[in-house]
Amino acid sequence: MQRFIDFVVRFKNYIALCALVVMSFSMMSFGNLSQLGGFRAVIVGSIGWLQSFFAWIPNPVALKSENLALRELNLQLSLESSRSRQAIVENATLRKMLELPNMTEYRLLAADVVGKTTTQLRNYATINKGTADGVKDGMCCITDAGLVGIVIGASDHYAVVQLLLNRDTRVSARVQRSRVDGILVWEGETTISLKNVPKSYDIQAGDIVLTSSYSARYPANIVIGRITQVADENQSLFRRVVVEPAVNFATLEQVFVVEYLPGVERTDLEARVEERMRRPVTP
Amino acid sequence: MNIVFDRSQFVSNPALRFVSYAVIALILSIIHIVFLRFLAVSSVTPDLLLILTVWIALAEGQFVGMFAGFLCGLLFDVVSADVPGSNALSKTIAGFVAGYFYREGFAMQTIGSYRFLLLVALSGSVHNLLYFFFYVKPMQISFPMFFLKYGVATTLYTTVAAAFPMLIVNRRKEW
Repeated sequence: MQRFIDFVVRFKNYIALCALVVMSFSMMSFGNLSQLGGFRAVIVGSIGWLQSFFAWIPNPVALKSENLALRELNLQLSLESSRSRQAIVENATLRKMLELPNMTEYRLLAADVVGKTTTQLRNYATINKGTADGVKDGMCCITDAGLVGIVIGASDHYAVVQLLLNRDTRVSARVQRSRVDGILVWEGETTISLKNVPKSYDIQAGDIVLTSSYSARYPANIVIGRITQVADENQSLFRRVVVEPAVNFATLEQVFVVEYLPGVERTDLEARVEERMRRPVTP
Repeated sequence: MNIVFDRSQFVSNPALRFVSYAVIALILSIIHIVFLRFLAVSSVTPDLLLILTVWIALAEGQFVGMFAGFLCGLLFDVVSADVPGSNALSKTIAGFVAGYFYREGFAMQTIGSYRFLLLVALSGSVHNLLYFFFYVKPMQISFPMFFLKYGVATTLYTTVAAAFPMLIVNRRKEW
């Protein structure tokens, strides 16, 4: 027994290191913070309150960037304003002629961004609307420019939005012009790329990328961004497609939460079929 | 009621020191979440809790340094919505590495000299190597490129931030 105690005392640092490493790995395998339930709501609420308390402090870098973006937007809007007037008239006439069904309108909930956690590459935003306002986990957020991200946690009056520029982002996307599908993933900084696009498919720089109807998380046809670069990679069957997000995340101040959750019936059916496919075939 | 800060009591009473470390860690994590966005350069910020972990490892030894790293990391995982355990693991290893350079009775000399910056850089490199290894796992990008871009930048920024506590301790030594 004495020898065992001597051994533990002698190698206590290494034993403690092993124990702490095992504990860390256990927590990592336990999963993300959303599994901590009510505890997480308290943390989200406290951090949201703190960030909103200090939201009045101006960020000069963001203000400069916002000014520049607003000037550009102003120029674009004045040009588009005249085009839209013409388009409204044309649109009404064409709809009547073709008897197109009205597109489903989702209810939108306006929210202010009270905090952004972009430190150490954790790209989240905290908004000042929570479960009391009808916000739920899994709802997506948009601006007038396009897709912002998805709600991953909510307390009574605040919610945390995982931005598009996040390592966990996977968006089923579609190129508007050629209807080519792919998966959008973040590649660091403000770059996202469209994966799984074969070399033979029709993709061009300047094409608009939308959310696809295949997505079980996002409503279809929301603008994600514009393709800026298409390159053929050596030793690969796929193309490298770089997409510039439509939303300027540096100047994000207001968002709309889309009160849409994927249909339970659809996700249940997909899960059941997947389960059936996994089972071995019996003669 | 007068509260008198007795430095000798602080030095001789480990419980008082550990409570102070816990309070400092809590304050630093709040600063990190709420204020550090103003100092972010391309989303890269200094890791204040890593500096605290290295400080504790140099002042208290490897054993305490590891536990301090684990608890600081866990605290940061909780307040930053990160995967629980990822920061705890990397900061535990960082505390372990920094603890190798613990010399009893010479903590302030080490912290008040350029050696502190070297140790923060070394521990930061190990910390970021581990952290970003697990960070990029769910992403379809190259780990070496991501580490060279963000891991090295974070380590450098943290080392620059560590110059402030080093200079404060260095000036106090001169008094």
